[in-house]
Amino acid sequence: MSENIVEVKGLTKIYEQGNVLAVDDISFEIRKGEIFALLGPNGAGKTTTISILSTILNPTKGTATINSFDVQKDPGQVRKSIGIVFQEPSLDGEMKGQENLELHAILYKMPKSQRKEKINEVLNLVDLQDKADTFVKNYSGGMKRRLEIARGLLQSPKMLFLDEPTLGLDPQTRHKIWEKIRELNRDLGITILITTHYMEEADELADRICIMDHGKIIALDTSDNLKKQISGDIIDIKFDNIDDRMKIMDFVSQIRELSSIKNISFGHSMASSDAMFTNLNLPKNMPNINPEMIKAQMRDMMSDPKKLLTALKRFPMASQMLLNAPFEVKKRIADLFTDDLLDQVPDGIKQEIIKIKKGEISEDQKDSETEISISCEHGGTCLSDVIRKVDESNLTIKTVNVHEPKLEDVFLHFVGSEIREETSNTTKDIKNRIQMRQLTK
Amino acid sequence: MSDLNVIKTGLNFEAIWILARREIYEFWRNKTRLISSIVQGILFLFVFSSALQTSSSSVLINGVSVDPRAYAASGIAAIVILFTGIFGGMGVMRDKMFGFMKELIVAPVSRRTLMLGKTLGVALQTLIQVFIIVILGVIFGYFGYNLILILKIILILPVALLASIGIVGLGLTISTRMRDFQSFGLIQTFIVMPMFLVSGAFYVISGPLGIVAMFNPFTYSVDLFRAVLVGASFFPIWLDFLIVGAFGTILILLGARSFNTMEVK
Repeated sequence: MSENIVEVKGLTKIYEQGNVLAVDDISFEIRKGEIFALLGPNGAGKTTTISILSTILNPTKGTATINSFDVQKDPGQVRKSIGIVFQEPSLDGEMKGQENLELHAILYKMPKSQRKEKINEVLNLVDLQDKADTFVKNYSGGMKRRLEIARGLLQSPKMLFLDEPTLGLDPQTRHKIWEKIRELNRDLGITILITTHYMEEADELADRICIMDHGKIIALDTSDNLKKQISGDIIDIKFDNIDDRMKIMDFVSQIRELSSIKNISFGHSMASSDAMFTNLNLPKNMPNINPEMIKAQMRDMMSDPKKLLTALKRFPMASQMLLNAPFEVKKRIADLFTDDLLDQVPDGIKQEIIKIKKGEISEDQKDSETEISISCEHGGTCLSDVIRKVDESNLTIKTVNVHEPKLEDVFLHFVGSEIREETSNTTKDIKNRIQMRQLTK
Repeated sequence: MSDLNVIKTGLNFEAIWILARREIYEFWRNKTRLISSIVQGILFLFVFSSALQTSSSSVLINGVSVDPRAYAASGIAAIVILFTGIFGGMGVMRDKMFGFMKELIVAPVSRRTLMLGKTLGVALQTLIQVFIIVILGVIFGYFGYNLILILKIILILPVALLASIGIVGLGLTISTRMRDFQSFGLIQTFIVMPMFLVSGAFYVISGPLGIVAMFNPFTYSVDLFRAVLVGASFFPIWLDFLIVGAFGTILILLGARSFNTMEVK
């Protein structure tokens, strides 16, 4: 008997529709009796991974076994060994709490003689025994969650999957659910796989944390070990009214040379727009591609308007990318196009370029509040160096904060930026296309 | 290979029964729905029977003279199957929207089990409704009073079950492919209404429309109802049985297929 309850090897999932690469060649193990957290931003591939493990979806490549049953060859056995609590509620509101459980028991082929007893047992476990005969539509959000956990436990699973179990619950209810999860793990010895994007939830509950992004595992260790990876202190600096973003880039490259500094990551708007061209942090997420190649290609395109034109015409998302690009980049592109070339530019960006040429658009002041976080060995000594550089670069500081690393910093350290939604459309598109091409080769 | 990982084991009869029971419970507990279906039945019976009665004192079916009220009442009993069956089958849509379908599809039972449970549940639900209409018709005296009537009422139940299977299958096929509730109006306009109006349920269809009606599978269900309840039919009974049975088989297979490929987000 192996020590691992879940073994995943080279798991890959490409959705047939839309050619989306959701999970990209991941491998990991979950040990018996541990709480394992899958952490990652929206669209990182957490739910897809859980869907494959819970045998709803077939993997494109790779294998996964749960309780030594293969998810593809033996889905029925896998389904009996696991309990699942989905991200969205999946109860029938028109039935009573108890009836929901009874239906589940029958679907999972529980012998009639055990049903009644087992249903009472799990209801007790989640403190819902007095609500057994209430219609589920009259339950509160937390009660519904608890009933779902009870339902997941009904077939005495070896393992429980919890997909964002505390999403949208108030703090008290959340703590109560955490308490229940810990109890289940400690008292019943159930292995738990939990996905979340709440840092503190993973920190609080999990024995080991797996950080996923763009379908890849980018870190997997205990919370403490992950924090140790960015040992020392974190200095968060928020700048005030930056009139020139390039100044920040200069500043960053200057302090990068300081020996005591280990890593610099951007928060907020900085990463979402500038990452495209200037601060190519992106390659970390595109492991299949040589970052230098992209840089070179972009530089190449930016130097020759004709190449840029073909790119714009061929890929509609290129123009969208351009519209989202920081002002400096737009300005440089606008300068590239002489009047005769301008006629060939696709309509969408033509207007934008004309406006820039006329000087109607200048950099948006609201956007210019920027945050960077610097990790270094000793916050105190490092801070004075950094502040000196700030002065030299003529930047104004709004706030400075020195602290020990939190899991959130670990997360940002690995994932890169704080806000995902804005960039995801364009960068993801490009990334997917490139990866797709490589995979089909 | 498909995206979906579907269990291909056999049927789980206990699961089929609990799923069917769920449908009936929900119908029974929803008192407004129960009352509205009775009131609607009374309304239909009164309006259509008297409308047909004022236009003609008797209806001729293949040379047999039939009481127009009995003609309309048997048609209405059949029509109830169409409405309840299709929209009951659409309950899958509701289950998808409220997430309950997800609980069902990860259970270690085959999709066929789920589909048959749903079909049986809705079919039994339509049976209750048909029974209500027939009893109302009997109370109003539309079918006359004699001892054979008891036999007719008993006989109509299996016939109604047979007729409802195809309709529920249709509802299931549509709703497993539907993505939102917006398409409901569309289904109503393009499927339910034409099947309902061109079936000869409320009036005798003749001329070119009669040809169209011959291509409407539901016409044969209505005819079968009439054969049982009134004792006269436009088509031979064996043909009615054949077509209703074939329609039911085809649509239940189609429904099963779309259930197997249904994705639940």
